[in-house]
Amino acid sequence: MEVTMDPLFLAWSYFRRRKFQQCADICTKLLQDGPYDQAAWSLKTRAFTEMVYIDETEVDQEGIAELMLDESSIAQVARPGTSLRLPGTSQGGGPTQAVRPMTQSGRPITGFVRPSTQSGRPGTMEQAIKTPRTASTARPVTGATGRFIRLGTASMLTNPDGPFINLSRLNLAKYSQKPHLSRTLFEYIFHHENDIKNALDLAAQATEHAQFKDWWWKVQLGKCYYRLGLYREAEKQFRSALNHQEVVDTYLYLAKVYQRLDQPITALNLFKQGLDHFPGEVTLLTGIARIHEEMNNITSATEYYKDVLKQDNTHVEAIACIGSNHFYTDQPEIALRFYRRLLQMGVYNCQLYNNLGLCCFYAQQYDMTLSSFERALALVASDEEQADVWYNIGHVAVGIGDLTLAYQCFKLALAFNNDHAEAYNNLAVLELRKGRVEQSKAFLQTAASLAPHMYEPHFNLSILSDKIGDLQSSYTAAQKSEDAFPEHVDTQQLLKLLREHFAAL
Amino acid sequence: MSLFKARDWWSAVLGKGEEFDQGCLCIGDVDNSGTGHDKVVVGSYMGMLRIFSPHANVSNEGGQNLIDSLLLEVQLQNAIIQVEIGKFVSCSELLHLAVLHPRKLSVYSISGTAGNVEHGVQYQLKLIYEHNLQRTACNMTYGAFGGVTGHHSLCIQSMDGMLMFFEQDSYSFGRFLPGFLLPGPLAYNPRTDSFLTVSSARQLECYKYETLAVATEAETRPGPDLPLRTGGKRLTADWILVLGEQALDISISSFSHSSSSIFVLGERNLYCVRDNGQIRFMRKLEFNPSCFLPYCSVTDGTTNLLLCNHTNMLLVYQDVTLKWAAQLSFVPVAVRVASFPDLKGLVVTLSSDGHLLCSYMGTDPSFFSMPKVDAREADYEQVDAEMKKLQKIIREASRTQDILPKAETEEDLTVTVSVANRSSVTILMVICCLHFLFLGVGSSTVVTFSVFLNGHYPPADLTGDITVSYTSPTGVPRILQSKFSLPLALVCVSSSAAKNTKFKITVDTNQPPVDLSSIFPEFSDKSEHKDGNSLALQFLSGAKVTMVASKTSQRYRIQSDSFEDMWLVVKELVQRFDLHFSKLGVKDFKKSFSGPLPLQEYFLSVDNHFQLRVSAQQYQDLLSERAVQFRAIQRRLLTRFKDKTPAPLQNLDTLLDATYNQVMALAEAAEENRASLEEAFTRLRSATHLLLLLLSLWQNLTPDQTTILEATLLPQQDTPQLGWEESCDAAVSHLLRSCLSWNPKDQATSLAQIDAPILGFPQETARLKNHITLLCDRIGKGGRLSLTSEANVQVPAQVQNLAAPGKLSKWQENDGEKEMRDRHLSKSSP
Repeated sequence: MEVTMDPLFLAWSYFRRRKFQQCADICTKLLQDGPYDQAAWSLKTRAFTEMVYIDETEVDQEGIAELMLDESSIAQVARPGTSLRLPGTSQGGGPTQAVRPMTQSGRPITGFVRPSTQSGRPGTMEQAIKTPRTASTARPVTGATGRFIRLGTASMLTNPDGPFINLSRLNLAKYSQKPHLSRTLFEYIFHHENDIKNALDLAAQATEHAQFKDWWWKVQLGKCYYRLGLYREAEKQFRSALNHQEVVDTYLYLAKVYQRLDQPITALNLFKQGLDHFPGEVTLLTGIARIHEEMNNITSATEYYKDVLKQDNTHVEAIACIGSNHFYTDQPEIALRFYRRLLQMGVYNCQLYNNLGLCCFYAQQYDMTLSSFERALALVASDEEQADVWYNIGHVAVGIGDLTLAYQCFKLALAFNNDHAEAYNNLAVLELRKGRVEQSKAFLQTAASLAPHMYEPHFNLSILSDKIGDLQSSYTAAQKSEDAFPEHVDTQQLLKLLREHFAAL
Repeated sequence: MSLFKARDWWSAVLGKGEEFDQGCLCIGDVDNSGTGHDKVVVGSYMGMLRIFSPHANVSNEGGQNLIDSLLLEVQLQNAIIQVEIGKFVSCSELLHLAVLHPRKLSVYSISGTAGNVEHGVQYQLKLIYEHNLQRTACNMTYGAFGGVTGHHSLCIQSMDGMLMFFEQDSYSFGRFLPGFLLPGPLAYNPRTDSFLTVSSARQLECYKYETLAVATEAETRPGPDLPLRTGGKRLTADWILVLGEQALDISISSFSHSSSSIFVLGERNLYCVRDNGQIRFMRKLEFNPSCFLPYCSVTDGTTNLLLCNHTNMLLVYQDVTLKWAAQLSFVPVAVRVASFPDLKGLVVTLSSDGHLLCSYMGTDPSFFSMPKVDAREADYEQVDAEMKKLQKIIREASRTQDILPKAETEEDLTVTVSVANRSSVTILMVICCLHFLFLGVGSSTVVTFSVFLNGHYPPADLTGDITVSYTSPTGVPRILQSKFSLPLALVCVSSSAAKNTKFKITVDTNQPPVDLSSIFPEFSDKSEHKDGNSLALQFLSGAKVTMVASKTSQRYRIQSDSFEDMWLVVKELVQRFDLHFSKLGVKDFKKSFSGPLPLQEYFLSVDNHFQLRVSAQQYQDLLSERAVQFRAIQRRLLTRFKDKTPAPLQNLDTLLDATYNQVMALAEAAEENRASLEEAFTRLRSATHLLLLLLSLWQNLTPDQTTILEATLLPQQDTPQLGWEESCDAAVSHLLRSCLSWNPKDQATSLAQIDAPILGFPQETARLKNHITLLCDRIGKGGRLSLTSEANVQVPAQVQNLAAPGKLSKWQENDGEKEMRDRHLSKSSP
């Protein structure tokens, strides 16, 4: 039996159940009948916004231009431990680079991929531009253009009837007077259209209309300023918003500003202040842990991740980070337990099986190793992942002494991702064992040019050159290796030896 | 993401294609059985009202189970948007069922008649009263409004923002909420006797019942922008809390006596608010919640709540701490806690498409099972065979190809160029990029392209390069190159001879003079006078070049008003002589140039080029100066505009405009200069070519030596950073110092050592001219050009023997003097 219902009510109900397309369709029909139906218009706006909504606190994309043309940083040469740009040398007593691989900026590899972990902060312009620009590490030239346009694909979707709201024709001043419409409209402009300037206009007029007493508008102003790169203005707005009303999001936004301004200590203090108001808030704890991790203070980071788990024991990021930390601190059995927990929780992807495989191997559960990798290979989503899995299989093959298999695995890794510097390095070592010096040298040089932040290819090249008597190349390579990893004892010994040689000459 | 799943105790799938939402589930002892056991009331948007009394009956099948538990199933006329159980009938302590339809509110009583056997119990639905609504209803709440005890009143929110109050079977009053656009959740707080809603302005608003009662009677909906009518009190909120987000649900819980808390489930956060509108705590949700329910307080001061989200999870929180997470098989739209005869405290969840589930927490692992990887049959023989096969392929492949490509000798591709002579087409300089596909072995592709004259001056070169880059089937990128030359007729036409000209060049040969018209057949037929001794060509740019063959001697004279334009003609002439005489079978054909080298004429074009470079530099400096000024003004303007207190612009805008105009004018001038620089460069190249040709004719240089000279003098590129003057100077002075030096020791050493002064923009060209003159002199004196050091050791020794020693030392002195003078000049010039 067909029962008639009010279409607006149905649309409203669909919206509550997050069936946005149906909601928008009904609203479109309603708007065709009555173009001035504010309720339907507002609901459709909200539905469109929700379809593309991304939590702004998690969006962190810093383009090369923002990085290098940044005038707001306080000190060019910051004191150790006060800057994200200059990662201190493992103050937390974590594992060294020899055990735990580093990202390009000298930060240890983390257990959970976040926007900011993708490639870290390069120290110089040259380094920033030289970053291997594969799909997984590509950094846009500026955050104001490429990335956000890609994120805000909704604004680029062609609509046969033109865009739903024509922003250029909108009288923002009129809408800013209407509190029941303005917030919805703002979110639409900000999230759906990605038109920050208009959003800022609207927010500025609305906050004026609210007599500067509405914390929400101040937060939105701050968000706009942040996107426009006016960090100090954003900070001011967020601070002012916090005076009106303590909200978790505001703390997160403000901390994001401080991180962008390269003031991790201030951000940490802010998070702790936020925790006083909202004890046990998971997002704040995670924020602290992430900053500690970025500053190479792995021990504290792990502590905070454990605190996160006390509040929310299903937190995937915390489990993954603790797991990877255990793995790199030589406790593969415990890491295995963390990863198994993730598996039981329903995380089911290539990366997890890859990690499981490695943990099994190092925990000497050889029976599970290969089947884990097999599953990882069955689940790969991209060539980069496939390359990584093959690289790890190659690593296992080296471990069990099957050099032929290892050789072929590394080759496969390179076939899937020919920017895989680690594979080049290992392949070079295998080639050297076969006695093919030239080939080995070529691979090492490729690896060194692909990943100048890794010390291994430099060091290997140095050893190789030393053996064939090319002391000059050996010395330069050893120096590069020392730059990448100052505490590496073998490099230092080699350098010492070389210096003695030169002195003798 | 959870470790465990919610354990099924009882479940049912309701109807087919029916829709349910938040209000459609309700728990209570609706038939007043007095046992305290709850019944589950579910209404659907399709108008079906169902009442269940779930009980675990393990032995029965699912369908049987459902029928057993179903107490009542009625199809109502209208859609059911909300069901509530309460004391809605006056003078009755019994619970009744209120059903909200879009345009109607009905209150039913449900009663059971006991039968003889257990499943013979009959349930009946009896309408007590109903109200027809003027407006489309959205949701409702109930409670003892105004502190009345004993029975419940109902409050219905309409889609256009009217709160309608019903006291049992009578309508009491209706009020419009101010600033209303879309309805939000509605809740009644009995402690403060107030109503809570989240309005479209995204704020939590609290209205006292009292205030609502005395506010202006609203019969017609006021426009949202118009002020409310005067008379009576304006409806204002008791307090407002800005949330900044829409709420899904509001729930009031008062588990402890001291205070009650208002829980608001927003789209992104969970708030707990005190009675007075202050936030007690909040929690940011990292998922999209669907519904929630605060259900009890386990320890004092905290509240436990159930929260469901759109990733099929049922979460149990104690305030902000996650206590338990369980996996469900659907996204619930409503969640309740109920106690049934067999079990207390079961979680009842309802999904949008009619899954009704009573579940409890347990440690059943989540029912996610990994899909199987297509495990191969371990047939070892087959695997071995495959392995062997693959190994063979790998071995084969690694022998032939590798990551590092091996040099291949045989070419996969050949390029042939043919020039179609179409003299009507005008001409030159082209860079074209063509992509085409070679289909297979033996196939050929013809690519046709045209060549055009770029600019109004004759080109420096009529030859062109063709580069083909391709990828071989194995993926190795390769390159092929080929050259072609274009006919002279493309750039010039024949014309009448000019008698008096500025520049003349005479070329001697050792053969009897030939008829020029036979050598240049394409021009001769057009010329009016059939005089074989002279031929005049006019370039498309206007310059004329006349060739005159001497009647008596074996000389040819080329004359023109512009020095550079002679190059193409001279070159063509020399080439055609070669061709002509080789055709005739003359072996020892020789051509030479006797006269002094036209260095002065050459230097004219050098100076011209240099002058233009200097002015380009000046334009550059001026431009950067203006740009700096422009930016400075911009910065000042920006600080003005950013300033909180507006200040006058002080004509900065005019200044900005003027600077902008200056910059544009300068840029245009620089662009013009660049164009003429290009022309000058082409002319310089022509002139250099001519000079080199004459030089080689004069001293009869070998092709090797000519190549060296070409590399030395011929401009490869001319950029603002590295111009022809400095690179040529460096090359020439290197030649002078190395293989053209008279001192054999110099030759050996200076070749090995690299002294590279930084190439910079020269101050003037005198030094370069000196060097070129010197170079020509030395070549004229018999210097040999060779770059190989062995040759250098021997050849200059011979030269030394031949040359007079006295003269030699003098040259060296001269050279030194010049060097000194140059240095002196450069010191004094700044």
